[in-house]
Amino acid sequence: MERRLQQLFFALSVLALLLIVAAAHQANTPSWKTFQHNYHVLEAQGEPNEVTKAAVLATPPEVHQFMLTGLQRVDRCTTCHMGVEDPTMKNAPEPFRYHANLGPHVPSKFGCTICHGGQGLATTTEDAHGKVEFWENPLLSKDYIRASCGRCHKEGDVPGVPELTEGRHLFETQGCRGCHKLNGIGGTIGPDLTGEGASHRAPEWLETHFLTPNALSAGSAMPNFHFTREQAKALTYYMLSLTSEDMGSYYSSVRLIPGPEYGRKLFAEKNCITCHNFGGIGQKAGPDLAGVTTRHSQEWLDEQLVNPELVYPGSSMPAYDLESNERKALISYLSSATPADVQQLLSNKAKALSPQDVAIEAGKQDFARFGCVGCHGTELQGGVPNPNAQGGEVPSLLHLSDDYTKDEVLAVIRNGRVPPIDNANGPPPPLYMPAWKKVLSDEDINRIADFLWSKQQKKDAW
Amino acid sequence: MDRRTFFKVSWGSVGVAALLSAVGVSLTAVGRYLMPTVFYEPPQAFKIGTPGDFAFGAPTFLVDEKIYVFHDRERGFAVASAVCTHLGCTVAHFQSDQKFHCPCHGSVFGADGNVQHGPAPRALDWFEVTLARDGQLRVDKNKVVPPTYRLMV
Amino acid sequence: MNIFREVYQSIVRRDPLSTDKGKSELVFLNVWLHIHPAKVKKENMKFRHSFYLGFITFFLFLILVTTGIALMFYYRPFPPQSYQDMKDLQFVVFLGPFLRNMHRWAAHGMVVCVFLHMCRVFYTGSYKKPRQFNWVIGIFLLLLTLGLSFTGYLLPWDQLAYWAITVGTNIGSYAPFIGGTLREVLLGGHSVGQAALVRFYVLHVAILPSLMILLTIVHFWRVRKDGGLSRPVWKLKAPSTAGLVTIGTSADAPLVPTQAASTTKTYGLMEVVTGKPIFEQVTPEEEEDTVFSYPYAFVREAVTLMATVTTIMAMSLFLNAPLEELANPAKTPNPAKAPWYFLGLQELVSHSALLGGVVAPALMVIALLVIPYIDRNPSRRPRDRKWAIWLFTAFVVVNLVLIVVGTFFRGPGWALVPPWVHVVGRPE
Repeated sequence: MERRLQQLFFALSVLALLLIVAAAHQANTPSWKTFQHNYHVLEAQGEPNEVTKAAVLATPPEVHQFMLTGLQRVDRCTTCHMGVEDPTMKNAPEPFRYHANLGPHVPSKFGCTICHGGQGLATTTEDAHGKVEFWENPLLSKDYIRASCGRCHKEGDVPGVPELTEGRHLFETQGCRGCHKLNGIGGTIGPDLTGEGASHRAPEWLETHFLTPNALSAGSAMPNFHFTREQAKALTYYMLSLTSEDMGSYYSSVRLIPGPEYGRKLFAEKNCITCHNFGGIGQKAGPDLAGVTTRHSQEWLDEQLVNPELVYPGSSMPAYDLESNERKALISYLSSATPADVQQLLSNKAKALSPQDVAIEAGKQDFARFGCVGCHGTELQGGVPNPNAQGGEVPSLLHLSDDYTKDEVLAVIRNGRVPPIDNANGPPPPLYMPAWKKVLSDEDINRIADFLWSKQQKKDAW
Repeated sequence: MDRRTFFKVSWGSVGVAALLSAVGVSLTAVGRYLMPTVFYEPPQAFKIGTPGDFAFGAPTFLVDEKIYVFHDRERGFAVASAVCTHLGCTVAHFQSDQKFHCPCHGSVFGADGNVQHGPAPRALDWFEVTLARDGQLRVDKNKVVPPTYRLMV
Repeated sequence: MNIFREVYQSIVRRDPLSTDKGKSELVFLNVWLHIHPAKVKKENMKFRHSFYLGFITFFLFLILVTTGIALMFYYRPFPPQSYQDMKDLQFVVFLGPFLRNMHRWAAHGMVVCVFLHMCRVFYTGSYKKPRQFNWVIGIFLLLLTLGLSFTGYLLPWDQLAYWAITVGTNIGSYAPFIGGTLREVLLGGHSVGQAALVRFYVLHVAILPSLMILLTIVHFWRVRKDGGLSRPVWKLKAPSTAGLVTIGTSADAPLVPTQAASTTKTYGLMEVVTGKPIFEQVTPEEEEDTVFSYPYAFVREAVTLMATVTTIMAMSLFLNAPLEELANPAKTPNPAKAPWYFLGLQELVSHSALLGGVVAPALMVIALLVIPYIDRNPSRRPRDRKWAIWLFTAFVVVNLVLIVVGTFFRGPGWALVPPWVHVVGRPE
């Protein structure tokens, strides 16, 4: 027995040795070393002579990483993707291929995962590509990579990514904010979309959701907006860009600062000329904007755009939801615009507006901006399904004046309203009119009511 | 010795050898474990830009990388360390005498980096600079080269 | 050659191991080995008596200390760097995954083995007089093991860690009077965050291991003073009317005849400290069954050590410790489960917070602690203690069932769902 035990001890010692050696071998042969070797073989082919060839092949394997403190991440992708910055690797097989069109987005400053997704800390293929359990940010497919541009470039037209502009435009005009909050403004019927890009929903999921909301979110009250494929894709791009990345100042400072051309576009889009005039061209409701940049500082103008009521309480100028660089673009346009140019903008407009029209226009802007169009429609036609509400759908607002006084309508906007239930035993209807008194000022509510009244259709004469 | 003893001793020796090797390999493995594989520091090899970014004549001082980049019209590029070999202060290069002066204890290095004056124990390092395939200059602080090294582009 | 011999003999001062004196001196002249007796009783060292569970538990602790210290070189207890360090260990550190796996599997193993060791000591009745207090110390060692496992669980700072500790500390907060304060002190705040991680780290690497080592020292020492490992139950004779002689018996208590130790055998310092074992009697035939610790006991310990180490190493080569997503306070996994050894507790808590979370476990611990004192039956033979064995087995089975239910039969919302039913959202 004693001898058996001694033999067992020594046998186990041999086993322990084998296991340690196996562990060391496992640790010493990670897959990235093979990739690096293959890359050096490829690299050596391009070397002119045997000496340099040998030198390249003898390069010791090492983990390459970029420490990106501003982006709060560490990317090790170039441990395998070694040809990313080497133009001679244009036609190399992946993972060694050259990355064309990087422009200023060099890996040493940006890494890779900020645009591509994936797990930068990993050094094995599946883990690095993020296609594993417990990593929620896998590599974006080619179709959707350009959406990542919107993570930093949050305003203006991003060159090469029209989908982002289109997506943003759709979001603002189709009434999404009626149900969804974004950056603090919006309704509460649907989930808050601030940071939706960071919620790790797959792009395919988002796109399908825009095309048929109920397919993926069973029982969702979100109506089908009948978007085209392109529109759904644009909205998906916009959603993917909504990350709340805490960028370091370096990254914020290098974001695109759009020029006055973009400011001109905003000037037209936001209909400034319906209230303001420029050197006499336009309306008189708001001040003359010609030379405004010589009378006021940039900061003052910027603040005015953010909070019009600050200097002029009771001002009927709506607060537009413009990003800081958009405001800069608008102000830079104002400093360079001429009355002739504005005349050209104006000639595209319809009739002149009276002061009441001004209020109505402001109300119209609010109606779109706060998402009312999402349920009540861009033409106030209603029709969005609301199961088990009387009438089965969101009502049209074109005949309000038949059933309500203006004061009653104001009260409904202020206090909200739960629609009357059709079948008392059934579930409550998912959609309801929220109370806006905490979100909208009384002036805004009045303007919306004015806008609604301006759209009322007369009852057909019997 | 008889057969039994022979096997007993040889198995025993194998066992002891295995045990000692296991311990030895473990200690070596622990040693390797403690050596860091990645460094959370600024990299030792980095790109500094294209040749066109660097003026002729006076060297360009890169503050984060602590190097002087010389671009000579005839002879090409050379990169010198800006860290004094005495106690690590950053030396300043003066065009007037083409020398490096250290403000801390007065060491003076000549145009080739050799110590001419002061407490510095050895010359300033010159680092290898190569042309990477994307056309940028790549400095490798891990590779010290003689002061006569030049990169012609 | 003389100088080499001189150097060697200045270090190794005992007689050669071929002599009996040398074998004894190897034990009592060596600081690392002198907790052992110079001679042990062969029958007490039988595998099927103790299964060497105490040794295995201790060796697992040694593995945990060494791998733990190694891991400390690469781990920082500050969220979210902790998670990044776990990823670094997994992806860039040489032998990182192996060492981390060893640490995790040894930890689970130690919880299992300390529990099995407790069962073994109970079933062999080795807690009975005079070994009662050593059982109590053992229970504290069990609690320390659970505490070490619990504090270590938070360190990876992934979803598993964060929510397991949230659930665990919330269970603790149900303790009457002290619960809220206890939770606040443990967490250094009101919720699991930076402060909690640092505190758990300090507990895990400094305080609890120190307490563990201190109590282990006492535990081993008392085993020695009690005469070493207990006698296997199959060797026990029917209890005689003779009782044990204990020091300090009052003068008028009836003296029970005992078998005296041999009159011809001398006992020197080499074998026992005083003339005879302090607390247990030694019969002459038992004396013949003693052998030197070297090599008899040591080879068995060595084999146990190698078996434990190679098993953990083999597991670590092939099975990876889990690492989920970064801890996200805004996203609770459904269901959120405590570490497996607390799942029985969580199961109880799901029925009643106070009764299940506080009263039941407190009663269980108290019951365990007082076993040696309420068990008045002096016999260690299984046939003489059927009730005790059944009760304890029931206790073990109930605990196992609770843990199994908590692990496999609880799905989202803590609903009772058998594991063979596919539930959307349950991790497969």
